[in-house]
Formats: sequence, C-alpha cells, structure tokens
Amino acid sequence: MNLDKIQVNACLRSGWQAIDLGFLMARAWYRPLFLAGAIPALICFVPLLILFLEDPFWAGFCAWWLKPFFERVPLYVASRKLFEDEPSYGDILARARRLFTFDMLPLLLWRRLSVQRAFNAPVSVLEELKGSARAKRLRVLHGKYSDVAMSNQFVCFCFEMIFTIGLVLMFLFFTPERFFIEVYDSYDELTLAGEWIYTLAALIAMTLIMPFHSMAGFSLYLNRRIELEAWDIEINFRSLANRKQRAGGLAAWPLALGLALCLGLGAPAGVDAATTHDRESARELIEEVLRGADYGQQKTVSKWRFKEWEDEDEGDETIPEWLIEFIEWLLRNGNWSDGAGNLALWLKFMLIAVFVLLAIYLLKRYQGPLGSLVRRERRQAAPEVLFGLEVTPESLPEDVTAEVRRLWLDQAYREAIGLLYRASLSRLIDRHELAFRDSHTEAECAALVSERGIESLSTFFDELTRVWRRLAYGHQLPPGEVIDDLCRGWQRELSDAVD
Amino acid sequence: MLDTRYRVEIPGGIKLEAQVVGPIPRFFALAIDLTIRGVLFFLLSLAMIPFAALGAAELGGGLYLILLFLMEWFYPVLFEVLWRGQTPGKRVLGISVINDDLTPVTLGPSLVRNLLRVIDFLPLMYLAGLVCMLSNRRFQRLGDLAAGTLVISVRETAKPAAIENIEPLAPSTALLRSEQTSIIDFLHRSRQLSEPRQHELAAILDGVTHEPSENGVDKLHRIGAWFLGVR
Repeated sequence: MNLDKIQVNACLRSGWQAIDLGFLMARAWYRPLFLAGAIPALICFVPLLILFLEDPFWAGFCAWWLKPFFERVPLYVASRKLFEDEPSYGDILARARRLFTFDMLPLLLWRRLSVQRAFNAPVSVLEELKGSARAKRLRVLHGKYSDVAMSNQFVCFCFEMIFTIGLVLMFLFFTPERFFIEVYDSYDELTLAGEWIYTLAALIAMTLIMPFHSMAGFSLYLNRRIELEAWDIEINFRSLANRKQRAGGLAAWPLALGLALCLGLGAPAGVDAATTHDRESARELIEEVLRGADYGQQKTVSKWRFKEWEDEDEGDETIPEWLIEFIEWLLRNGNWSDGAGNLALWLKFMLIAVFVLLAIYLLKRYQGPLGSLVRRERRQAAPEVLFGLEVTPESLPEDVTAEVRRLWLDQAYREAIGLLYRASLSRLIDRHELAFRDSHTEAECAALVSERGIESLSTFFDELTRVWRRLAYGHQLPPGEVIDDLCRGWQRELSDAVD
Repeated sequence: MLDTRYRVEIPGGIKLEAQVVGPIPRFFALAIDLTIRGVLFFLLSLAMIPFAALGAAELGGGLYLILLFLMEWFYPVLFEVLWRGQTPGKRVLGISVINDDLTPVTLGPSLVRNLLRVIDFLPLMYLAGLVCMLSNRRFQRLGDLAAGTLVISVRETAKPAAIENIEPLAPSTALLRSEQTSIIDFLHRSRQLSEPRQHELAAILDGVTHEPSENGVDKLHRIGAWFLGVR
C-alpha cells in the first residue's frame, strides 16, 4: 500500500460524503469494474436460465442470491486501481480462486441477508480475515457508519427496482406494435414471456448497479480506515518530510546569498532603518491617517425595508373566521346551480387574460425574431450617431438639398457635405433598413450599401463617401459641380419625392 | 484525483469550495419531501369537509385541485428560494441547492430545475434523473444541468475538542499552511489513533522535530497547540 499514489483525495468525510465518493469511484472506473462483475455473472446466468427455462423467476432469484460472489472481483480490481495499479487479466485469474472461495460459504448462507454487505466485504476480500478475527475487526470498523452502510444497501436495492421496471417499460414502449408481446394474460397475471422480460431486466439492472453499490461500501470502509489510521496526516507528513529533506540539501545556498546581500546592499538597508518609527510616533502617524478623508467618514443612508412581522399565536385550531365568512359570502352571492360555474368561468377568463398579457410582456421583453412582430422601432438597432454625425431624421432640415446648396454658397463646405452625408445615412437606415452599427467605418457602410445590389444607389453613395472622406480627413475641397451632381443624385435616390 | 469537492474561483483569486452530494442522500431527501407533501394533501382534503358540509362540494373540489396543482409544482421552488436552497427533506439531510457559481439559488434557476422534474421522472421514479446523475461528475440531474444548479452538502463539521494542558512550542522551522493544518489535525485526532500509530506518524517527522518518536508525539502536539494560538 503506497499512500503517495492513492487516487482519491484522502480526507476525513462524513459517511454520506464517503458514499458519494464511492459513486464517483464507480463512475471513474466503471468499465473495468462492470466487466469484472459482469463476466462471472454472465457465466453464471446462462446455465441458470437454461436450467429454469420454464420458470425464469427462479433463475433470477438464484442469480440474485449469488450476488456476493460477483462482487468480489470488482472490489479486488478497485483496491488495486486505488493505488494506481492496473491489475492484468493474469493477476486476476491467478487470484480468482482465492477471491471466489475465501470465506464464501457463510456469505452465501447466513450472511447473505446482511444489510451492510458492501461495507463488510473489504474485510474478507482485502484483509482476508474470517471467524472471530473478522468479527472483532468489524466491531472496530462499524462505529457510527452502520446506518449509512444500511442506507447504501437499501437505496441501491431501490435503484435496482427502478432500473428493472424502467427497462421493462422502455422495452414495451419501443417495441413495434406488430411484435406485441403479451406481458400480462387475461387474468392480469404475468405470462411466461412477461416473466422472462422481467427476469432479464432485473439481471441487467443488478449488474449495472453493482459497481456503484460495492464502491460505495468500499469507500465507506476506506473512510473509516482513513479516520482510524490518519492516512491524510501520513500523506501530509511525508510530503513535509520530503520537502525539508530537499530543502536541507540547498540550505547552504540561501544563507550565503543572504550574507552577500547584507554586505553588498548595506546602504539601502540603512535607509530603511531610518524610516521606521518607534511605538509612539507610529501611533501618532496611524491616528493622523485615520483622521484623514479616506477613513472616519460618516454617511447616512436611508432606504425602505419591511417592519418585523409579529408572529401571531398559532394555538388556534378552529377553522379561521375569514374562511367561514368567505365561503358564506360565496354561498350568498350566487345561485349555486350555475353560480359556481360562473365563478369558475370568470376565473378561467382571468387566467387566460393573465397568460396573454404575460406572453405579450415576455415577447416585448425578450425581442427575438418574434418580438419584432410586436414592436417595430427603428431606434432599437440603429445608432443615433455615426462617426460623430447625428443621423436621426429629426436632426435633418426640411429640404436637405436646398440647405446643402445654401451652406456651400456660404463657403461652409464641411457642413454642406457633412449634412448631405448624414442625411444619406439617415435615409439609408430608415428607408433601406441598413443595419449600420456604430463600430462601422465609412468604407464598411459603403460596402453594406453596395451589398443591397441597387446599382445607382451604390454608385451615388460611393461617390458621396469618397468626397466626404477627402474633405473630412484630407481637407481636399471637391469642385463645385460635384456638389450639384451629388445633390441631384440625392434627390434621385433618397429624397422623399421618390416614393 | 477523485474527490467530491467542487471548486469555483471568484475574481480576486479567492477559491470557494463545496462538497457535491450524490444520489443516496438526495433519494432520502426526496422521500421525506414526498411524505410531507402526502400528509399536506391529506390535511387539505380534510379542510375540504366544511365545503361539503355547506353544500359547496364542487367549489371545494375545484379549490382542492388548484391547491394540489400549486403544491405539486411549487413546493420545492418555494422552499428553495425562501429557505436558502433547502426543502424540509434537504434540511434534514443537511444538503442544499445552489447555483453552480456557488451563489444562492434564485427564483429562475429553481423554477427551471423543478419544472424539469417531469423529464427527470421519466419513464418512472426519476430513472432519467438517476442515469444523468450517475453519469455526471457533479451528480447533476437534467434539471440541474439546464438550470445550472448543484446540490451541495451544508452540514457543519463537528467542532474539535478544546486543547488543555499542553505547553505550546514554536516550531523551529517554517511550515506551509497545509503542513500546519495537518499537525493541528494530528493533535485533534490523536485520541482516535492507536498509540503505536501515533508513534509511527511522529516518526515520519523525525527529521523535522529532531526527536525520537516517543517524545516526537508530544512535541508535535505542542507545536499543534502553538499553531492553534495557545501561548
């Protein structure tokens, strides 16, 4: 047993947590554990089923009774895997005789119905104790974990049941109708086919659950040993001793280095010493800091909260007054032959109304593709400002081209082209529903426009973009006729008159 | 290394830890909750007697069905949201539902995980949920996976007995935090360990305590007391 290689985190756990760890072990090593249990089981099931061809329940019962037999190899495999040791098939075969025979008779006779089998198994399989030595050992181990061990047995039994019935149901659900199998006959008793289905399902369920059950018991056993023998402390002590041993070899180096530092860097050390304070001056300094703005502030915060509810006495066991009054009110206010029906009808309409409102609210709240049906507003996706230019329709003058020409004549060239450009963007967003984002550049906007495939529009917009960029970034004035062209283009492509 | 521990690192490099809880404790918690709900249904049907006596059996029946529906679907949600992630059954078992970032469970995730019980229940008695839990490292059923929740253990560990009559001793060498903890553990758990085992453990640290094993145990106890703050 090499504790350094242990594959689980050895620490003290409660019994329940130990069982959970066992389930994790079973999960991690499920394939080998399942095979180690299922192969002997299969070798056993087949002859039994053949033997009880007409009476499969008995085969199932015998197989179930032999279950401790199949749990041995998985436990051995797990005990090896726990210390990072893969047992080969040869190892298992060499060990198989001992595993299958050691102290097996009592286990199959009077100890078969023990409710803590999985917890006790490691004492027989791994410690190889029997008789009074085993009893003594178990007394030490059991302690406070008996009830957890029993819970494990009970719940795993329930899981087997759930799996069995679940498997049968799934089988019946998914069998095509023409292969219909009569599980129950006309007297509501199981047919032979039904018995077969149930037996096979039970055997499968048993084999599937087995690793979890025995690992939970094994983990509980491990937990008890960790507790009794302080494995976790041993692991930590060993690593501490190793660390000190390694450090011991290197101890001379830090010492020499430290000495060199002290000698060589004496001056800074002296400076440090000068800035240290004695007790009195340090206290003054601290108080000064505490008086400063960062500390010692007071802030008044007011907010609403519920007053404490006063608990009423709960000794009153009669029907509360309000309930009686409510029922009486209901009875008074209505002809009960159809009154109750009316009330229920109202309730129904109210509920429907609530659901409809809720649905509308949710659609509005989480606008997906459906949400746009309810609410269609431009502002949701489109930005209001692109490259620092306002592009909302409200920000534009009534007659854009006239304004542009006026600005141009006033020699406000930047404003003129800027107005034309943002007016175009605004119209493109509004009328062509282009999804500009504020992260887009001018060139990307132009590319988006040409993706629309409207030849004249994209030619116009490309030209406008080119002119705007030259003016905005390059300070190059376009010739006057270009402006006329652009204004005509704007009127042609984007002005209201087009529609 | 296999462990039931679940770890989350929050901003600032602080690591939070919790122990996830497997199917067996949760089975019992569910059984307790089902029993409580059964009793509540029974009491509810008794409460309908006044309705029948007043000649409004149909009204009573309707109300009964509505309450039944609400209780069946919202009993766990109500408790989980208002009672720090615990239904009564979970409280008995000392387990609790929590978001997978280890924040308290809120209405949304709780609703999702409990409404999806229908799926976990299929084809009967939570078989789907069980299979999902067994194939999941954190024992989450489908509802948990959808809601991003976990079931963790919240039972407090027992407080160790007080230290008495031990002269503290400062360790002669610097020790890491985990090493300090294990020496404290050694002090606390010595009573459960057999005498030879104590010596065996102390002998491992011969090179650190510089004492033969007989005195090594005492010396480790004294160092442990020092780490616990006894002066």
